[in-house]
Amino acid sequence: MECRDVEAVLEQDGLSPLPAAAREHLVGCEGCRELLADLSAIVVAAKRIPAEENPPERIWISLSARLEAEGIIRESQAVTVSTAPAAPWWEGFAQWFKPRVLALAGAGVLAVAGGLYWVNHPAKISAPAVANVAKPAVTETQKSSELKTPVPESASPSTPVLSAGLLPKKPAARAAAAIASQPPQIHESTTNLRPSPSELASFGESAATLSQTERAMPSRALGSNAEVDAALRANLRTLNEFIAECEARLKENPRDQLTREYLNMALQQKAELLNAMMDSGRSEH
Amino acid sequence: MCSSTSVLGTTLRGTRRIASTGGAAIGQLARPRPTEPVAWTEAEAIRRAQGGDSAAFEFLYQLHGRRVYALCLRMVGNPADAEDLMQEAFLQLFRKIATFRGESAFSTWLHRMTVNVVLMRLRKKSLPTDSLEETLEPDAENSGPKRDVGAPDLRLSGAVDRVNLERSIEKLPPGYRTVFVLHDVQGYEHNEIAEIIGCSVGNSKSQLHKARTRLRELLQEALREQARQERQSAKTQTGSQG
Repeated sequence: MECRDVEAVLEQDGLSPLPAAAREHLVGCEGCRELLADLSAIVVAAKRIPAEENPPERIWISLSARLEAEGIIRESQAVTVSTAPAAPWWEGFAQWFKPRVLALAGAGVLAVAGGLYWVNHPAKISAPAVANVAKPAVTETQKSSELKTPVPESASPSTPVLSAGLLPKKPAARAAAAIASQPPQIHESTTNLRPSPSELASFGESAATLSQTERAMPSRALGSNAEVDAALRANLRTLNEFIAECEARLKENPRDQLTREYLNMALQQKAELLNAMMDSGRSEH
Repeated sequence: MCSSTSVLGTTLRGTRRIASTGGAAIGQLARPRPTEPVAWTEAEAIRRAQGGDSAAFEFLYQLHGRRVYALCLRMVGNPADAEDLMQEAFLQLFRKIATFRGESAFSTWLHRMTVNVVLMRLRKKSLPTDSLEETLEPDAENSGPKRDVGAPDLRLSGAVDRVNLERSIEKLPPGYRTVFVLHDVQGYEHNEIAEIIGCSVGNSKSQLHKARTRLRELLQEALREQARQERQSAKTQTGSQG
């Protein structure tokens, strides 16, 4: 076999094992041995070059923009197709409210805890401004139903349910929990501290009164307990946001009874929360 | 801290957790998730892409983009041109995807388009003396690089580093370069390369051998140049000392 023949074998079969005749030629031919060694080194080095490289992100961005401009790309279709029937209209509304109800329930639990704290550290000073707005504006529907709240045993029929400063300890906690968990109800008995339905004509007035109380609260109402202070204020912000959303919805649709009820609950809980915050601040001072 | 306050603290943490969970739930409901991976096969993605599904296009791009970009980069030697070529290749592919019938593998079809795009670009840039056709078609009389019988060959063993090799690859004629990159860098077999560049298997093997042999010459030239520079710098140092 000649050098030209060895090269022909390399061209045809690459670097795979050479036939016997070619190997015999290599024994006596340094040139062909060096050629084989060099070609092998080149192939080994080539395999170290990455077969894949990460392209810059801008390539896809530019490409997809051009494809969209040419109308080749259309909106991505859903990968999974739901076979369930279309959800009723109110499910979407309920979904919107769901997390807010959870937050509201949390605020209600907070109010209960505030009440428990008040039970252990009773405040002597009443909060007439807060108690006055605790009863929400009464709608025609509520008037016609005339539901009654559970009256504490030790309280007189004229004692307001939400008057933080005047109720006995344990009944106040029970009343706060009852109101937080129940839909808005008509309170037949009134006192000097609880406004009558005529004194509060609308939710707007209730909310405005609560806002006034909120602004009047000292900036350090919760004293030195910064963590509690921050957490209560954060929950108050959550409530305020929810109240604002309800009010916005009611503006669009004044007949939305469900939103009205949610707003009612929120205002009640805000009143309770403000009560708890003021009591906590007074007890610290 | 009194027990009531600790109860309050616990309740507050719970309230924050409830609020944040609710907020997170809303976030997940409201925001779309365009980058969520999908469990498609290539065939399904092609079918969806033929219907204009943008996610399917992106799926195919992610599946093949790295190899296409690497091919373009090895062929032209600079990232800017490689990006342009890659984009052009995919643009052509997606414009014509409706015509893909599956006669060949999708990757083969894609690489064929890529090679064509690259060679067209190189053809526009090439000098008149560089004949692309000559390098793609075997010629019995001009069968590639000749071995200098008289001149001593420099041994390359141990001297073939990646940088020198990549520089030498850039100096190869486009036809040689294409086959070498497809076979020795990206690992395609000769039958696949034949389908990509539209030639016979024998031609692919021939081009590859010529590419390797030419690379050997280029690397030897680089070694000689390096040795010459080292000798010159040594002379300069000796002259300055003397």
